Amino acid sequence: MEDGVSAGSGNGAEVESQAATWAVRVAERALAPSEQARLDAWLAADPRHLGALVRAQSLWLDVDRVVALGSGTAREMPPTGGIRRSWRPYAMAASLALALFGTTWGYQHLAGRISTERGEVRRFALADGSVMTLNGDSVVQVRYEDDRRHIILRRGEASFDVAHNKERPFVVTADGLDVRAVGTEFVVGINAGGVEVTVEEGVVAVGGKAGGAVPARYLRRNEQFVAAETGPRKAVLDEADVERRNAWRKGLLVFDGQQLGAAAAEVNRYSDRRIVIEDPTLARAEFMGIFKLGDARAFADAAAEAFNGEVVERGNELVIARRQNSPSH
Amino acid sequence: MTLEANGDGIAIMDHQARLRWFARDVLPHEPDLRKWLRGRVRGLASLDVDEVVQDAYARLWAGDPESILNVRAYLFVTARHIVGEQLRRSRIVAIDLVADLETLNIVDEEIGVHRRLSGQEELARLHAILETLPPKCRQAFELKKFHDLSQRQIAEHMGIAESTVEKHLAKALRLVADGMKQAPEGAQNGRRRERRFWKWG
Repeated sequence: MEDGVSAGSGNGAEVESQAATWAVRVAERALAPSEQARLDAWLAADPRHLGALVRAQSLWLDVDRVVALGSGTAREMPPTGGIRRSWRPYAMAASLALALFGTTWGYQHLAGRISTERGEVRRFALADGSVMTLNGDSVVQVRYEDDRRHIILRRGEASFDVAHNKERPFVVTADGLDVRAVGTEFVVGINAGGVEVTVEEGVVAVGGKAGGAVPARYLRRNEQFVAAETGPRKAVLDEADVERRNAWRKGLLVFDGQQLGAAAAEVNRYSDRRIVIEDPTLARAEFMGIFKLGDARAFADAAAEAFNGEVVERGNELVIARRQNSPSH
Repeated sequence: MTLEANGDGIAIMDHQARLRWFARDVLPHEPDLRKWLRGRVRGLASLDVDEVVQDAYARLWAGDPESILNVRAYLFVTARHIVGEQLRRSRIVAIDLVADLETLNIVDEEIGVHRRLSGQEELARLHAILETLPPKCRQAFELKKFHDLSQRQIAEHMGIAESTVEKHLAKALRLVADGMKQAPEGAQNGRRRERRFWKWG
């Protein structure tokens, strides 16, 4: 019981001290390269370190807000002569923070290529103010040119919240399909069925590359376009469905009456352990639940419980099956 | 949104804005989360509540703030998952406890109650915590936060080395952060009778 349980160093308090030192330093000044390297190493050593740093940094910043609440009320400690109140160096602090995290992530940004691992969802801000959220096991190439903002989706799925700029259209290319937006929110994904485009806000134009087979079409809020090999199709989704489909951006998978087989396929996108359902009637059963991305085990257990089944481990697979009514039982 | 490009046209989302969101929407739930965790993991001495909180914050930070509709529920569920993961990894815990943690009954009576502090209460809490700081530590903190001095200016003013100023400030931050781990005990001036309503702190 004493060892190994916490799966950590068991030194949460010590980590908090280190985090406080970094938070104070980063807010004060630019880090020297050697310090930055040490901070990077510290952050890389344990994912909890980031959590501790975020806690310390946000508290340190929040103290300013609390102090400002009391401005105007008398302070016991008189300001010292010759010291004037400087305006808060938020802008500088912000750029320091950018430097901090920019370096940490910088290695993956070579030539604008950004990728995520299976089960990893990350959010990126693009230089123009647009925000891109990359689903797990996805790769994009960012190519910002003077006259257009170009993103190439190589694999997986990405959602975009596009900053409005008529002069510089935002174009996402996926498997030869161009999705063009001015200012809007949409999701583009490449899966076995083809390229899928879902619009959450605004309007996007979907079309093939110059002279391509797919003529331009306009998609509006909650509309979905699928460029499948069997031909393009368009569907209108209801809002809850759009929201459910995009729950991955908050690290959750939400199922609300989907077929278990489809739900399992979704879970498998985020997990190294694969859910397998061999019983076709079970795969068609409707299922509800909320799961953390990557938690295949929790999904399997919940599904088994919901359908009075069982989970059998088979190597790296979790097989969900109905309980056998064998004569011996 | 403040953004800065690097060579690839990519920048990191405004870090300060996210920190402010974190301070405003996440940190206020921490005392309740800790209390709940301590209740949950009673008897599991090797589970470090600080570590669970750090882990939960790291995961929350990786998510998308705008799409998390109920931060409080999300935070509790994340923490519950983390405890579940650790228990599973330990392989020595009663199955029914793990099963209990696995269930995702997000609506939990303990989770529901939350009252945000007023500005005056927040200020009073900060001052109450500052009272407990060692004198030099407190002085450095006040020069920094109430008078916006740089560490160099504080060093000159106090006649100590800049590196010592940083140590004082880091210690002050840690103590302030510690002070915020618990709900204030009915806290300040004459509010004791209302402590039932100081649920979050």
